[in-house]
Amino acid sequence: MRVLLVRTILLGIVCWIGLAQAEVAIVLNSGDGTVSLVDKTTYQEIKKIYVGREPHHLMSLPDNSALMVANSVSNDLVFLDPISGQIKSRLSNISDPYQLAFSADKKWFATTSLRLDRVDIYQAEGFRLEMRFSLPKTPSHLVFDPSNHFLFVTLQGSDQLAAIDLLARKVAWVIPVGKTPAGIVITPDGRNLLVGVMGEDDVAVVDWQNHRVIQKIQTGKGAHNLFSMGDGLRFLVSNRVDNTVSILNVNTMKVENTFAVPGGPDCMELSADRKELWVTSRWLRQVSVIDMQTFKLSHVVPVGRSPHGIFFASHVPR
Amino acid sequence: MTDLLSPFFSHIQDLVFENTVEPLIHLLQLDNWLEIAFDGVEFFLFGILEVLALYLVLRPLEALRPAEKWSSREGVGTDVIYTLLHRLGVVPLLFFIAIQPLADSIDAMLRFNGFIPFTLEGLFPFLINRPIATFIAYLIVLDFAAYWQHRLQHRLEWWWALHALHHSQQRMSLWTDDRNHLIDDVLGASWFAGIALVIGVPPSQFLLLALLTRFLQSLAHANIKLSFGQWGDCLLVSPHFHRVHHAIDLGHQGALQGCNFAVLFPIWDILFNSARFIPYEGPTGIFDQRNGRDYGHSFWGQQKRGVQRLLQVLTHSLQK
Repeated sequence: MRVLLVRTILLGIVCWIGLAQAEVAIVLNSGDGTVSLVDKTTYQEIKKIYVGREPHHLMSLPDNSALMVANSVSNDLVFLDPISGQIKSRLSNISDPYQLAFSADKKWFATTSLRLDRVDIYQAEGFRLEMRFSLPKTPSHLVFDPSNHFLFVTLQGSDQLAAIDLLARKVAWVIPVGKTPAGIVITPDGRNLLVGVMGEDDVAVVDWQNHRVIQKIQTGKGAHNLFSMGDGLRFLVSNRVDNTVSILNVNTMKVENTFAVPGGPDCMELSADRKELWVTSRWLRQVSVIDMQTFKLSHVVPVGRSPHGIFFASHVPR
Repeated sequence: MTDLLSPFFSHIQDLVFENTVEPLIHLLQLDNWLEIAFDGVEFFLFGILEVLALYLVLRPLEALRPAEKWSSREGVGTDVIYTLLHRLGVVPLLFFIAIQPLADSIDAMLRFNGFIPFTLEGLFPFLINRPIATFIAYLIVLDFAAYWQHRLQHRLEWWWALHALHHSQQRMSLWTDDRNHLIDDVLGASWFAGIALVIGVPPSQFLLLALLTRFLQSLAHANIKLSFGQWGDCLLVSPHFHRVHHAIDLGHQGALQGCNFAVLFPIWDILFNSARFIPYEGPTGIFDQRNGRDYGHSFWGQQKRGVQRLLQVLTHSLQK
C-alpha cells in the first residue's frame, strides 16, 4: 500500500512537471478578459486565466524573457511566462494600450490607443513615457522602420497612414492609403510598407521614403492583418470578411495561394517548421489550426469570447 | 455571460452576423465598426431571449398572483413597444452613436493630458485577477450612481417633467421598466457616461451589467404580489418594495418627492432615509392623474407631452 502511494505521488509529480513544461499556445480572449492556455499537442484548452479588461495584443519582450499582454481597458501590461503562460508581473498606468511594438534597437516601445486616437512612445527600458501624439482617427497597427528613425501607424478611422519621426519627435507626414487600413508590416528589404486595407480588400504597397502608394494587391474581402512567414519572402494576410488567409510573395508582389479559415480570421502564429498556422477566429470564439501542407482546417480549439492575439514560443523567426 | 449559453448561442450569433450584418457593413465600407456590430448582434439576440424569458416567466406570475386586479390591459401595449425598442438594441444603438463619440473625445482629451482615470482595481488591488469580485464591486458603484440619478429625477422639477412619464403608468407591469422619455434616457446615458469617465470604464463595458440586471428591474415593476421577505426586501428590490415607489399617493410625495428610489439594492434607501417598508397593493400612477391630467397614451403622444411639460417648467423657471 505504501509503495503504491509513493508511486502514485511520483507519477503525479512527473505528470505535473510534464504539464508545466509542455508548450502552450497563448490566446487572448479580448471579450472575456482572459488568456486561454492551449496544449499544442492535444489542441485542448488546459486553463483559462483572468488577466484584465480587453486584452487585445501581445508580444515578446526583446530579450524573450516574458510575453507582454496589453489590457486596453485596465490600462496595464501583464507579463507572462512565454512557455507556461503563467502571470509573472503587472505594470500599471499604461494608458489604453492596444497594439504594441518595439523598435529594432530596443530603445523605443510604442502603443496605439485605438479608442482614444493616440500613440504613446515609451523608453523601452523602464517603460517611461517619452512622446505622445494625437492622431486622427483610430490608430490601429504600427511598425518601426529598421533604422529606428520612423514609426508608421495605420489610421483605421481616417483611411490614412502616419509616419512619426522619432528623432524630430513630430508627425512627419500623413497620407491616404485606402479605406479602413489595419495591419502593417515592413518588407524584408526595408523599402516598402504593406498595409491591409479592409474596406478595399487589398494590400497597399507603400514606398515610405517617397510617401506614396505604389501598388494595390487584391487578396480577399476585409484584408486585415499581415504576418511574416519568417522566410524573408512571404507574408500571410487574413481576410476577415472573406474568411480566408492569403499568402503574399513580396518578391513578385503576387498572391501565391488563398485558403479558407472560418469565423473572421484575425491574428496568426506560424509554427517554426511552417507546418501549422494557428489563427484566431473572432466571430466563432475559437482558434482555427490550418495544416500548411494541405491548407485545410485540421483542428478547432474553442476558447473565449472574441479571441484576438495569439502566441507560442516555437514560432517562425520574426 | 453568453458563455452560459455557448456554443449554441455563439454559432447563432456568428451565423446572423456573417450572413447579414457583416456583408452590409463591408459593403458600406464601415469595417471600422465590425467588432461593435458583432457585439450589437449579441445584444440583439440576448434581447430576444430576455424578452421571451420575461414573457414566459413573469407573465404567468402576473396572471396567477396579481398585486392589482385590472378590468383590462389597455395601455400595457405601449410599454411593450418601449421594452422592445430598448432591449432589442434600437435605443441603446442611437445613444451609442450619439453619446459614445462625445464621451470618448472627453476621455481622449483628459488622457492626452496625463490623466488616467482611477479604477476600483487600482484602489483595491485585491480585486485584480478576481473578475467576479470586480464585477460585484462595479455593480455596487453603478447602482449607487443609479440611486442618486433617480433621486434627482424626482427632486429636480425639470427632470421630473420627463421622468413623470415612467410613473404615469396606471397598469404597471413587467413591461414598464423601459417606459421612459427619450430625453430622460439620454440624460441617464450621459450620467453613466460621466461615471464611466471617472471610474475609467468605457460605457460599452456596462453592457454586461445592464444585461444581467435588467431582468431584475422588470421583475421589480411586474404586477405580482411578491415580497422577498423582511430581510430579502432589504437586500434586493422586490415587486413589493418598488410598487410603493410607484404608488399613486406616495411615489412623488413628501419631503424627498418620493421613496424607495433604489434600482437594485434597497440599502441606499435605508442609508439615506428614503426607504418605506409598508404593505401596498393599491393603484400606481401620479396623484394629478386623479384630476384627469393626461400623460399621453401612444408612444409618440407620451413623448410629445413630455417635451411640453419640460418646456412648461423651463419657461416657468425663466419667468421667475
